Amino acid sequence: MMRRLLDWLEARFNLTEMFSLLTSFGLFPAEVDSRRPVREALDEALRAPLPSYARWPRILGVLSFILFGFVALTGLLLMFYYQPTASDAFASVTMIVRDVNFGWFVHQTHRWGAQVLLVILILRLLRFFFQGLYAPPREAIWVVAVLALLVAAHADLTGRLLPWDARGYWTTVRAMELVSLLPGLGPLCAALAGGTDLDSLVLTRFYVLHTTILPVLLFVLFYLHFSSVRRVGLSALPEPGRSGRAALKVQVYNLLILTVVIFGGLITLASLLPEPFGVPADPFATPPGARPPWYLWAAHGLVESFPALVPRPLRGLFLEAILAATILLPFLDRASGRSARGRQMVTAAGAAALLIGLILAVVGYRLEGGP
Amino acid sequence: MIATPVLLLALVAAGPGPMPGQAPRSAEMCGVCHSEVRVTFEASVHAVEGIRCSSCHGGDPSATTVAAAHRGDFRGVPRRRDTPALCASCHADIARMRPYNLPTDQLALYQTSRHGRRLAEGDDRVAVCTDCHGAHDIRRRSDPQSRVFPANIPATCARCHADAALMARYGLKASAFDDYSKSVHGKAFLVKGDRSAPECTRCHGSHGATPPGVGDVDKVCGQCHATTRAFFVQGPHMAAMQAAGLPECASCHDHHQVQAAGPALLDTACLKCHDQDSDQVRLAQTFKTLFAGAAEEIDKARALVDQAAAVPFYVEDYRARLEEARTSLTESYPAMHALEVTPVRDLTAQARGIAREVESEVEAKLKGLGWRRVGLLVFWFYLLLTVAVLARFRRRAAQEPR
Repeated sequence: MMRRLLDWLEARFNLTEMFSLLTSFGLFPAEVDSRRPVREALDEALRAPLPSYARWPRILGVLSFILFGFVALTGLLLMFYYQPTASDAFASVTMIVRDVNFGWFVHQTHRWGAQVLLVILILRLLRFFFQGLYAPPREAIWVVAVLALLVAAHADLTGRLLPWDARGYWTTVRAMELVSLLPGLGPLCAALAGGTDLDSLVLTRFYVLHTTILPVLLFVLFYLHFSSVRRVGLSALPEPGRSGRAALKVQVYNLLILTVVIFGGLITLASLLPEPFGVPADPFATPPGARPPWYLWAAHGLVESFPALVPRPLRGLFLEAILAATILLPFLDRASGRSARGRQMVTAAGAAALLIGLILAVVGYRLEGGP
Repeated sequence: MIATPVLLLALVAAGPGPMPGQAPRSAEMCGVCHSEVRVTFEASVHAVEGIRCSSCHGGDPSATTVAAAHRGDFRGVPRRRDTPALCASCHADIARMRPYNLPTDQLALYQTSRHGRRLAEGDDRVAVCTDCHGAHDIRRRSDPQSRVFPANIPATCARCHADAALMARYGLKASAFDDYSKSVHGKAFLVKGDRSAPECTRCHGSHGATPPGVGDVDKVCGQCHATTRAFFVQGPHMAAMQAAGLPECASCHDHHQVQAAGPALLDTACLKCHDQDSDQVRLAQTFKTLFAGAAEEIDKARALVDQAAAVPFYVEDYRARLEEARTSLTESYPAMHALEVTPVRDLTAQARGIAREVESEVEAKLKGLGWRRVGLLVFWFYLLLTVAVLARFRRRAAQEPR
């Protein structure tokens, strides 16, 4: 029956070509000859050996993509009920989480999925850094990974405003205050967002950014990442006691198991640690403990740690310099990869920067008081 | 040849004349010398209504020399003691005031006021019409720039009543405005801008301004606090206070410095007259216990409702019922003024009952959340089962020959 359906479809569509779209995206790495019948091409692809870059424990890329898929799917479901106007947003989110069947669950998994995605993207970046996976010819992998983290953080930030609740509203206000410090970028972001005062106009722009522009950008960045990894690969893994390479068919099961486990993890987080539902945003009342989102605590701590005599635009310039140096790291550090000593120094510098970042994050968190 | 530029210059200097159909400028020729007064006066409500300088000052406003202008019935600056009668020459004229729908009893009221009576005795340092309303700059009461615009009244009264030297002459304290600013009324009126809160004239009157005496204080406060007064007149305090010459409400609540009333007042106010071991003080503590019990129960229920709202559950109904409980508690405060335990006990019991009902219903809902955890266990069982099946397939695939 299945075979007959497949034959019937194959006579009318080039199914192999459709399958090759999936493989050429990179989630499922295999080369497919689109002129061959689908069953034959599929069979061959599934038996093909798995490239080194796609094998355990190198799952952060694919994990982040699956999470992105979850967040996109749950976001799509939320869009059915959400109303992006200052007057109706809170009421519509209240309806989603309280009245719609399993609405709370979709909302919480969407929220948790986004946070876990950000954590995975940060871990992936750290891994690239400490393994030196930004040296030529892997500059693009690094730049794309940093951009993906920036885009995901923006997607998260724009999403925090959408429920139009007090906590989300004031978190966004704090983040915008930080962004507005950046010379050049600050005014640009304000122009893109529709102003620095959060009102209905900003909400609409954030909605469009959050549901269309940023997810599409992130999808493109994922494609660029997979594409570049296919071209340049990652460094070879030491494989003590392992011979031969697993087939792609095994990788399909790996992906399925991973998806199920992520799903379970998100459901557990959503059920046991649900984000409490707040009160509507009031632009004239700052709730205690209003601080930027967690990934900006370090930047917040840094900006506020400067002595008062340093003008605020200068602090913004410093932040901007850190951002630029992070993006351009592969072009700034061209020598460290050539000697063991150079790598050690860069690794030590990276570890020190990470430690300082963590301390600044604690400082940034404590600045605001409250819960 | 020379005449033309001179004529042009004269036209420019004269400025634009009155438009057809428009009344001529009210200051007329007086404004030529009294130019500063003219500017102030022309922004006033009197200028708009066609009142002239000569209406109050007499003289000839069309005269072109000082001597001619200050001739005839010219009276210069009216004397303070004559001011009320001068203003009343128009403002007590019913026919004249009818189109403006203005009252005409201001002079009659003023004559009954402490200000008016002292003026009649020859003391012209007391307030006359112009001290509160201004002279040339009189504006409508509804104009925010007017000294008698409701928001400006406390400051207008304070111009004299915060003047320590002036008040000392009359044996009055100059602290009325400061005290009022710190009171619950002053904070509501001056800080929050709550125009339903009383300013000076709501208690003392305006034209008939007089401090309310013993026997009248409860009536003045009762204009707003009607329910409290209704209970107060039923209780034993009213007759006792009048007999002792104590101002009714103010004895416990103070007057200008009146603070937000609450159960804490029962700890101090009663001790002003009663002994610590007296039945009256014990009664006060009974009231306090009843109030505190109901308030505590409401706060407990509210915290639970907030917890449920964060889940989120539908809690609007519970919030409405807690408002009902809060209303019963609020009603019990005035009921205390009759010094009877029963109405207070009934109302606080009602408040406590509603709060307890809400508490138990919300608690039951929150307990229901535990089922989500049970559901999670079942879910993980099936999830692990799925993983086991997939892992088995995976193992089989790994063993397949390539």
